[in-house]
Amino acid sequence: MPEGSAALQLQVGDRVVYPNQGVCRVAAIDVKEVAGQSLTFVTMRREEDGAVVMVPQGKIISIGVRKVASPSDVEEIYSFLRSDSDKADLDWKQRARTNLDRMTQGGILGLAEVVKGLQVLSELRPLPTKERELYDNARHLLVSEVAAALGTAEANAEDSIDIVLFPPGKERPKRTAAEFARPGGDEDDMDLDGDLMGLEGGELDLPSDEEPQAESESEEESSEEGAEEEGGEESSEDAPKKRGRPPKAKPAEGEGGEPAAPKKRGRPPKPKPEGVAAEGAEPAAPKKRGRPPKARPPEGAAPAEPAAPKKRGRPPKAKPAEDE
Amino acid sequence: MIRVVTLDPFDDKQLAKFNRTLYTAFGVGSEHSGSAEVPAGMSEPLDAEKLLEEVKGIRAYKDDKVLLLTSRKLKDRDLPSGKAPTSGFARYGKDRAVLSIAPFKDLEKDFKPIARHALHQLGTLWELHHCLDPRCSMYPPWTPSFNQGDHIFCTFCREKSEQKIRLAKS
Repeated sequence: MPEGSAALQLQVGDRVVYPNQGVCRVAAIDVKEVAGQSLTFVTMRREEDGAVVMVPQGKIISIGVRKVASPSDVEEIYSFLRSDSDKADLDWKQRARTNLDRMTQGGILGLAEVVKGLQVLSELRPLPTKERELYDNARHLLVSEVAAALGTAEANAEDSIDIVLFPPGKERPKRTAAEFARPGGDEDDMDLDGDLMGLEGGELDLPSDEEPQAESESEEESSEEGAEEEGGEESSEDAPKKRGRPPKAKPAEGEGGEPAAPKKRGRPPKPKPEGVAAEGAEPAAPKKRGRPPKARPPEGAAPAEPAAPKKRGRPPKAKPAEDE
Repeated sequence: MIRVVTLDPFDDKQLAKFNRTLYTAFGVGSEHSGSAEVPAGMSEPLDAEKLLEEVKGIRAYKDDKVLLLTSRKLKDRDLPSGKAPTSGFARYGKDRAVLSIAPFKDLEKDFKPIARHALHQLGTLWELHHCLDPRCSMYPPWTPSFNQGDHIFCTFCREKSEQKIRLAKS
């Protein structure tokens, strides 16, 4: 049940707060006949824009209409906002439910709790759009009620709240998720931050046909090594078979051999021609690209006359024989 | 329409630049609409709330927002929760705001923080509340980082101000 609504006796001219709507003034209380029944209606006019709402008097309390907070209530709000006690719930669903309840039935303290909770949460991470809207609505309702309670301008009411929330000369602190952890340690698993519910990347057990392609390529490269290992595995058939890729055999430390260089990825280098390096001969000249040069005539032979250049065009007609 | 009214002499070129900045931020016209006198009997530091009520001789249409610009100091306000540092003041959802450039050297050298304060006061006139984003001009203006920021709004405040401007009666 909302604060101050247990014994709500309204009169025309009273200022009340309608949940989620803001400060209203009671414009009239009159009896009307609806469907053969005579009901007492309270007509309220919202101060912000003059919107009118009529509520049956019997439903005033269940809706959550209450009188405007007193200045002493506002002092309590300041001390609450000044304290560093309220931490928002990290579970968004729980948080949304709580904030909705606070907005409708929490009174002015509920509004202050929503504002404070979301402000503290924004020090951890930026608020999503819906919560940013909720924060703005709650702030607007809180500011208008504080202004109505203290009889001051809304700008002054907002500044008086923000002097407490954002003290002059101080920057807002950065929060960590650890500060929001519940003392009992019963954190909801739905948050899924950290190591994704304890499933670390290296231990993720994938079926063999879903292994990444890169893994299978490297497996092909090490097929020679694997042949020896397979023999070893066959001997220990009693042990339960592990799924996935078998672990690679580590080189024995007692051999004193140098550790194997890390395998290079990509295409293996082409094998060098044998014996070239061993003989110490000069390295073969690199092949020239393009058309091979024409073979030159031997130096001893007489130089042949250069062939007459071919004439272009149609070949000349054969002359008729003169004897005929 | 945003109307800038000066209570003290300012350079015209700087005022033109100032108006262009306001036009860019809100998307509504902004102009220098002359000057006005500080009411007689008011001494420095000026009481911002009283100043807004008592300044005379400002002509504006309905839905126009008037920004009074002064180089004199404004008095800090005594609020129930403490003293509020006051470099400007605007009535929420109303049509007049005042901004003092006294904490800064002048309009030319400290143009960015002054423009940021102006956006904050005009945003209050368009019913924007204080924002949680330190980069936004609606962040509380007494925080140390406020003067270092750019004269911009966050997405939420920009959209809300655009909506309020669209819904204006005129």
